Amino acid sequence: MTTPILHIEHLQKNFGKFQALKDVTFDVDPGEVFGFIGPNGAGKSTTIRILLGILKASSGSATIFGKDVFKDAVSIHKRIAYVPGDVYLWPNLSGGEIIDLFLKLSGDKHTEKTDQLIERFQLDPTKKARTYSKGNRQKVALIAAFSTEADFYIFDEPTSGLDPLNEEYFQKSVAELKKQGKAVLLSCHILSEVEKMCDRIGIIRDGQIVETGTLAEMRHLTRTVITFKTIESTPELASLNGVHNVENQPNGRQTFSVDTEHMAEVIDYLAQRQIVELQSTPPTLEDLFMRYYDTSEENLVEGK
Amino acid sequence: MLSNDFTKTAFLTRFSLRKNWLKLTVWTIAMAGMFTAIAAKFTSIYGTQAAIDSVMETLRSPAMTALFGKMPSGVSSSADIFAAEMTVFMAIMAVVMNYSIVIKNLRGEEEIGITEIIRAHAVGKLSLLGATLIEAVILNLGIGLLYALGLTFADLSGTDLNGNFLLGLGLGFAGLMFASIAALISQIVDNSRNSTILSYVVFGIMYVARMSTDISDPKLTWWIPFGWVEKFSTYKDNNWTPVLSMIIFTIIAFALAFFINSKRDVNAGLIATKPGRKHASVFLNGTFSLFLKLHKTSIIVWTIGLLILGFTYGSIFSDIGDIIKTNPTLEQMLGKSAIHAANVAIIKQFISMLMIIFAVLSLIPGMQIIHYLKTGENKGYLEMIHAKPVGRTKLYLNSIIIATVTTLLVLAATLYGLYLGGVYSMKDPIALKTFIKAYVAYISPVLIMLGITAAIIGTVPKLSSINYLYLTAALIIQYFGKLLKFPDWPEKLTPFGYIAQVPVKNADTATIVWQLAIAAVLFGIGYIGYIRRDLK
Repeated sequence: MTTPILHIEHLQKNFGKFQALKDVTFDVDPGEVFGFIGPNGAGKSTTIRILLGILKASSGSATIFGKDVFKDAVSIHKRIAYVPGDVYLWPNLSGGEIIDLFLKLSGDKHTEKTDQLIERFQLDPTKKARTYSKGNRQKVALIAAFSTEADFYIFDEPTSGLDPLNEEYFQKSVAELKKQGKAVLLSCHILSEVEKMCDRIGIIRDGQIVETGTLAEMRHLTRTVITFKTIESTPELASLNGVHNVENQPNGRQTFSVDTEHMAEVIDYLAQRQIVELQSTPPTLEDLFMRYYDTSEENLVEGK
Repeated sequence: MLSNDFTKTAFLTRFSLRKNWLKLTVWTIAMAGMFTAIAAKFTSIYGTQAAIDSVMETLRSPAMTALFGKMPSGVSSSADIFAAEMTVFMAIMAVVMNYSIVIKNLRGEEEIGITEIIRAHAVGKLSLLGATLIEAVILNLGIGLLYALGLTFADLSGTDLNGNFLLGLGLGFAGLMFASIAALISQIVDNSRNSTILSYVVFGIMYVARMSTDISDPKLTWWIPFGWVEKFSTYKDNNWTPVLSMIIFTIIAFALAFFINSKRDVNAGLIATKPGRKHASVFLNGTFSLFLKLHKTSIIVWTIGLLILGFTYGSIFSDIGDIIKTNPTLEQMLGKSAIHAANVAIIKQFISMLMIIFAVLSLIPGMQIIHYLKTGENKGYLEMIHAKPVGRTKLYLNSIIIATVTTLLVLAATLYGLYLGGVYSMKDPIALKTFIKAYVAYISPVLIMLGITAAIIGTVPKLSSINYLYLTAALIIQYFGKLLKFPDWPEKLTPFGYIAQVPVKNADTATIVWQLAIAAVLFGIGYIGYIRRDLK
C-alpha cells in the first residue's frame, strides 16, 4: 500500500459561529488526479486554504507528505504548486516578472520549459498585470505552476477564465504531470473536465464529503437514460422496478431512465418486444452532481 | 445627447451616498466637531487682551507664518486668532478627505470592475463622474455650512455673521476645489495608486509654494490656488474674491474632467501603462525584493517630497532667527555672540515644533508598508505567496524591516533637508549635530507607533484604521496642544508626549531605553499574532 501524498481526516473549520467545514476526509495518492467537486460555498476553497496553511483548522488533521499543513507549511510548500481560482497579480509588475518571481520563490528557475509554456498558452509576458484579463492572469499562475518542480499540484477552479483551446492545453499539461507520477488535486466546476481527467472524485456539500470514489464506482449510484423503438407496444414499462420518467418522443421513440441495478431485467423485457432502435446514454457526472446538489424536494424524494 | 450622457446621475448619487455613508458621516462629524469645539474653546483661552496680544506676537513671526499662513495686519480679537490658526490646517484636512473619497469613487471603483458593471446598465457615460461631483458638493458645502453654524454657535468675540459664513463656506469650496483636482487627475492617470501620488504631488507643490511666497511676498500667494484660503481676511475685510476664484477653478477642472471622461475608454487614462520587462531582474528574487519593488515609488516620493519640505522650512531660518529685525538696538546692547545665541534658540524652538509634523508624515509610508500585510492579503495579491515556501515569519520581518527603514529614512531626509535649507539661507548655519540630536530622540516614539501598527495588523487586522486615527490624534495633541492650552494628560496618550523637547533640550537616555523596549514588545505581539491567525 502506497502512502498517500495528502491525507485529510475529519477536518473542521469554524468562522465564528458559522461552521464552514463539518467533516472532510479524503486521501490523494501519488500518480493520481483527484477531482474535488461541489456547489459554490460548499467548502472547497476553505479546504484548500487549510491545506496551504493560510487558514488554521479548528479540528481534525490534514497532512501533506506526512507533515502537518499548518506547522510545516514552509517545508511542504517547497514541493507543491498552487493555482487559485481568482488570481490577483501586482498591477505594476509584468507577467514575465511575476512568473520568474514565483519560480524563484519555489527555488526553481526560468527554464526552456517555462518558455514553451508561455508559448503554448500564448501569453504576452511583457504586459503589466494591470492590463491582463482574468484568463491571462490565470495563465500566469498556471505557467508558473507547471514549470515548478513539485510533487503535488493544487488547482482551485483553474480554467474558469480560459478559452477552450487553452483549457485543452491545461488538460494536456495535467496529463503529463500524471504520467510523471505526480499527484494532483483539482477543484473544478466543469464536469466534462473532471470526467476526462480525474481518477477519483470527492463530492463536498455543506462542508461535508458526501461521496468519494472512482467515476465507475459512482455510476451504480445513478441511472442510465435509454431511448428505444420497438415493434410491439410496451405498456408495462412504466410499472417495472427501477424505471423512471417514461416519455413518448416523435417518430414512435420512447425514452426512460433506469437504475443501474435493474438494467438487465428491463433490457430483457424490451428485447421480447422486438427492438428496432436502442440508444443508451451512460450516467454522466452531471447526473451525479445534480443528485447531490439539487436539494429541491422532488429530487430528494426521487433520488433518495 | 448631453442629457443622455447624464442619465441616472441622481440615482447613482443616492447610491454612492448610501454606499459611503459611514465614511462621509465620520468625516463630517470629525471635521465639523473639531472645528466647532476648538472655536468654543478659544473664547476661554484668549479671554483677555494681554493673552491675545502675546499670541499675536507669536503668530506674526515667520515661523508661524510658514505653518499657519500670513496673519493679516491690524487684527486683535480671539476670532482673528482663530481664523489665522485654523484656516490652513482645516484646508489640509479637507484635501486629505476629498482625495481619499474622490479617487476611491472614480479610479478605485474602475479598477475593481464596478464601473464596468454600472456602465453596462442604462446609465450615461458621464453619470458616475457627475454623481461624484454632486456627492463632493453635498459633502464639502455641508461641512462648510456646519462650520459657519458652529462658529455662530460658539460666538467668539470679534466674529460676525458674514465672516462666519465666509470662513465656513470658503473652507467648503476649498475642499471642493481639491475634489475637482482629484477628479481631473483620476481621468488622466489609469490607476488609483498613481492618481493618489500625483494628486498629493500637486498639493505638495502648492503647499511649499504658498509657504515661501507667504514669507517672501504674500501678494504672490494669490497665484497659488491653495493659498486662496489665506486671503479671506476673515472678520477684517471679509473678502469673498478667493471663494469666487475657487468656484471658477473648480468649474474649469471639472469641465476638463468631464471632457476627458467623455473621450476616454473605461479603464484607460490619458497616460497609458507602459509594457514591462519580459523577465524578472536578478534583484527581484524573493519577498524582500518584491516588497521593495512594490513600495519603491512610495518610498522615493516620500523621501524626496519631505526632503523638499524640510528644505523649504530650513530656508526660512534666516527670517525666523533674526531678532535684530524687530529690535535693532539689541545688537548694541547684547553684542554679536549673544544675539546669535538668541537667534539659534528661536530656531531650535521652531525645529522642536516641526519635529512632530515630520515624525507623523514619515510614519505614514512606514505604516502603509506594514498595512500591506493586510491590504495585500485582502486583495488576494499575497495568496500565491502564502502557497510558496515562504514562512509567515519572513513576510512579517520583511515588512517590519522595510517599514522601519523607510520611516527612519524619510525622517532623516526631512531633517537633512531642513539642515540644507538652513545652510542655504543663513550666514552662520545651525550645525548638523543639532538635527541629529532631534532625530535620535524621535527614533523611539516612532518605533512605538510602528510597533502598535504591527501589533494590530498581527492580531486584529479588522481594526487597522485605528492606526491612522491614533496617528492623527497624536498630531493634533502635540501640534495644537500648546496653542489650545490642552491639559497635560492628553499628551501622555501617545509616545511623543514623553520625550524631551529636542533640540531645545537634550534627549533623555532612560526614556529612549524604555520606549525601545515597549516597541520591541509590540513588534513581538504582532509577530505572535501574525504567525498564528487565519489569513484570508
